[in-house]
Amino acid sequence: MLVISRTDLQSIIDHCNAGYPDEACGILAGRNGRVEKVYCMGNARPGPVSYEMDPEEQFRVMKGIRQAGLEMVGMFHSHPGGRAYPSSVDVEKAYWPGTQLPNYPEAVYVIVSLMDRDTPVVKGYTINEGSVQETVVSVI
Amino acid sequence: MPIKVRIPTPLQKFTNGKTEVECAAKNISDLVDALEKDYPGMKERLSEGGKIRRFINIYVNDEDIRFVNKEETALKDGDNISIVPAIAGGQVKSEDGKLRRWEVRYGSC
Repeated sequence: MLVISRTDLQSIIDHCNAGYPDEACGILAGRNGRVEKVYCMGNARPGPVSYEMDPEEQFRVMKGIRQAGLEMVGMFHSHPGGRAYPSSVDVEKAYWPGTQLPNYPEAVYVIVSLMDRDTPVVKGYTINEGSVQETVVSVI
Repeated sequence: MPIKVRIPTPLQKFTNGKTEVECAAKNISDLVDALEKDYPGMKERLSEGGKIRRFINIYVNDEDIRFVNKEETALKDGDNISIVPAIAGGQVKSEDGKLRRWEVRYGSC
């Protein structure tokens, strides 16, 4: 389960809307599955069906999270024209290249669907051990 | 002072769970070989045909090796190396060459 405040959830949705019609992305920092800080990141491979977090920004943010004593509890990206489910490429990229070793096994992959821009759909998944499992995103 | 290498979670199975290891190397190619010697299986995970794999980013202290000298980036004692898998996703091409998003049903993949 991922616990997130309404304000932080709105930050995610705002960043995804700002990136529309391209995908937008970001990192969620916190402790024990509770989001404490949202990092809205640049998309180094912008497009309506592609994203790659800017590598240098990702490195800097992940280092900052460690130094702050927090964990990367999740990451998010948008599906501007698709449902809030991981694509096969989303799943492939969740694993170390050519293996079934998950890159971030503890993280929740949050996907924001903007198919209906007036009503964004936000869902969370764990991608681990060859399977994709939906996990509850609890808004407090 | 040895070079310190921060090991990402998926590769910790090769380092017996160690999150950081130490080694000696002149450059990144050397480092990959040194890691392979101490922790067999690392080289194949990190590189392909002598090049660091796409979607794997390596930093020497705070510098991305792609903007220094790639696999030939020089190392010195005391350097801190970070190996960071990219966070990315996207699309696949269908047989007709058009781009489309493939969905997977949750619970399986």
